[in-house]
Amino acid sequence: MQAIEVHQLRKNFRIQQSRGGLKGALQDLFAREYREVAAVNDISFTIPQGEICGYIGENGAGKSTTIKMLTGILVPTSGDIRVNGYVPYLEREKFVNGIGVVFGQRSQLWWDIGVIESFQLLRKVYGVSESDFRKRLDELVERLELQELLSRPVRKLSLGQRMRCELVAALLHNPSIVFLDEPTIGLDIVVKSEIREFLKELNRTQGTTILLTTHDLQDIEALCSRVIMLDAGSIIYDGGLDELKSRWGSGRAVRFQFGKAVTAAELTAWTGGLPVTWTQESELVATALIPVDTAVSDLFSRVLGAAEVTDVQISETSTDEIVRQIYSSGSAEKPGAGGILHV
Amino acid sequence: MSSLYLDFIRIRFLTMLAYRVNYYSGILVYTLNIGVYYFTWQAIYGGKEQLAGFTAAQMTTYVAVSWMARAFYFNNLDREIATEIRDGTIAIQFIRPYNYLLVKMMQGFGEGLFRFTMFMIPGMIIAIILFPVQLPTSPVSWIGFLVMLFFSFLINTQLNILVGLMAFFIENNDGLMRMKRVVVDLFSGLLIPISFFPGWLVSIMNFLPFQAITYLPGSVFTGRVQGTGILEVLGIQVLWFVILLVPMIIVWRAARVRLFVQGG
Amino acid sequence: MRIAYYVGLIWEYFTNYMKTRLTYRADFWVEVISDLLFQATNLIFIFVVFAHTETLGGFTEAEVVFVYGYFMVPYGLYSCFINLWNFGDRYIVKGEMDRILTRPAHSLFQIFLENLDPPSLIGSAIGLIIMIWSGGQLGLDMQWWFIPVMILMVIGSTLIYAGIYIILTSVSFYSDSPTGIIPLMVNIQTYGRYPITIYNRVIQIVLTWVLPFAFVGIYPAALFLQRQEMLTMAWLTPVMGLVFFTASLLLWNTGVKRYRGAGS
Repeated sequence: MQAIEVHQLRKNFRIQQSRGGLKGALQDLFAREYREVAAVNDISFTIPQGEICGYIGENGAGKSTTIKMLTGILVPTSGDIRVNGYVPYLEREKFVNGIGVVFGQRSQLWWDIGVIESFQLLRKVYGVSESDFRKRLDELVERLELQELLSRPVRKLSLGQRMRCELVAALLHNPSIVFLDEPTIGLDIVVKSEIREFLKELNRTQGTTILLTTHDLQDIEALCSRVIMLDAGSIIYDGGLDELKSRWGSGRAVRFQFGKAVTAAELTAWTGGLPVTWTQESELVATALIPVDTAVSDLFSRVLGAAEVTDVQISETSTDEIVRQIYSSGSAEKPGAGGILHV
Repeated sequence: MSSLYLDFIRIRFLTMLAYRVNYYSGILVYTLNIGVYYFTWQAIYGGKEQLAGFTAAQMTTYVAVSWMARAFYFNNLDREIATEIRDGTIAIQFIRPYNYLLVKMMQGFGEGLFRFTMFMIPGMIIAIILFPVQLPTSPVSWIGFLVMLFFSFLINTQLNILVGLMAFFIENNDGLMRMKRVVVDLFSGLLIPISFFPGWLVSIMNFLPFQAITYLPGSVFTGRVQGTGILEVLGIQVLWFVILLVPMIIVWRAARVRLFVQGG
Repeated sequence: MRIAYYVGLIWEYFTNYMKTRLTYRADFWVEVISDLLFQATNLIFIFVVFAHTETLGGFTEAEVVFVYGYFMVPYGLYSCFINLWNFGDRYIVKGEMDRILTRPAHSLFQIFLENLDPPSLIGSAIGLIIMIWSGGQLGLDMQWWFIPVMILMVIGSTLIYAGIYIILTSVSFYSDSPTGIIPLMVNIQTYGRYPITIYNRVIQIVLTWVLPFAFVGIYPAALFLQRQEMLTMAWLTPVMGLVFFTASLLLWNTGVKRYRGAGS
């Protein structure tokens, strides 16, 4: 069964067009102009049960808007959504019993009372039986090492401690789908990797479907088998992380250090006919990017024959770079052979 | 430097313009307020010529001008300051190269300018059309009233800032803010002119700043205070403005110390 | 089943409220006192006015005080359970509505529960005392039907109050102004407490059918004062309560669908 099915989903926002200056503001008081902007633009995807899917995109790409529609917070302008068999916004109160949501930027917990009090309250809100609650809480508390934190008020917790508590709060009712909106934002490396481990384990042992948005691609590499990449409201890539890497990341970067100053014109002249893109750091340092079907040895023979090279480094492109490239090109279409990467 | 502060006035003015629903409902609500108090006072007079030194006609004018003055001087600086203190953004204000209290004053004045031109003047016109309001005839009364109106704004804003800054010392000053609002509405003479209060209360009022906000300018507008008397009541306002600067500065100093010691 | 769930939640949130409050005890008392002061100023208005007149629209001082006492009862209940003052700031601007909408209880109900304000009930108790005291002055004899009718009327009035404020709050979903227009209502909500006949037709219609605050004061209270002229209106109180409350829920439920979320 599919955990999430989305078909031609769209969300338009009406944005007020402010006219500048005092005169404009006065005009706005009596008559307004609006512009429709599609935050999410007819996207479709399905996520099967038990998958961990990363949802990435630049700020304003429409990630949060999608998550909010999937969790029943926002009503879509058009299109179909089914999550756990429900249309989220139609049967919101029933539907949310089956999902857990964590917003990295906003707390789900009550600020002034002890963490355990918040959990108790959530138990009532979700109608979890006392015994189920105990069992689940004990597991989670032990797994995330929260024992000493339980009696402290949320405002006295560090960000990392709070985020672990947020996870517990979202999981107390044993949801089958968990939505995480930037769960690792602002956390240190240790806490980040703890949370990743925990999510992986949750997915493995309980079969929980997880959809997370993040800016930290290491989250994606550590967790996700699948990535959906969003740009300006449209999906530009949907597929496995490995595939993304093999299609895009197989290019290599070769960094040369020269003994004598070289010019950009010289560099391009040496590799004329080869699908190479140069970026120059200084007169003495330049990097050549070559696609997978070009042998490094070809590049070497050209450059070593023409210039005095003191040092060479070869590196695979990282996911970070791949994603940056895709963003700047605005499309995940693989460039044709011999095409030039936009760096 | 001063152009920086002028900018705060301008920006607040433009911000106020952005809230259309507030604007329209504000005009309606203020008209309704004047109407209700107009008819209530009509019923209280019930044909009597004069009560507590006010003729029925003066009362009508007083009600209209007091509510419209409130439409001008009212602002939520207390709430804004308290919010900034509670969510900690005030710390940022301390590292900026300006005086926080002055900036707040300027923002309040920007709002006041908006309220004066967009609320008070149109509201007053509506009130004049709907109710038998008598405008002052002497230019001295007009000038006196407008100057005093500005001091009403200053004094009310000073009180707002003081109450807002209290959030440094008590965790939740919502109650205090509500209390201030109620006290200002009642004891400034907005709901009842001061002369209607029993004698002992009037003498207490004379030692409090509230009457300077509504009652004194209202008295000038209705013509109950004229000629050199205007200078006298204006003097009382100026005096309160100066006196209130003292606790403002003291509280501000104490607040800074507290912020630096506790780290917000 | 659903009702038991919601009642359970009320209790759960109430105990949490108490736990929070015990950490901020000083605020608790400031809040209670400011509440009472707010009520006191309104009583002061009544006393001052009646120092200058015998009757107001055919109502004596004791009768007007009795009406005010009645008003305090539903008002206290409303303030305790349906506290929407900071809705715009907290739930729309700061985006806490997101969190509310991911939980399996009606959104409005959750907001009520998160803003429970039990100290307001003290006002209701004082209102009852005022009714009994001024009723004694008026020589009203306790009748068997007073208590059941009182309960019915208070429920009706509270629902009207709730309905008006839910409608005004729902405006936040439709308009561009984050803070909404509720603060403007502070004064208007008190106008239903005076004999409505002193106002002119337009204001009477507004206070009866548009912002029906007259049903949270003069109309139902007139029933106990055995004022024949308002009998029909008095019995309309529970009907209006149901109508307004239902309408407000419909408006809210539609409004929530337009919620746009805060920030990104």
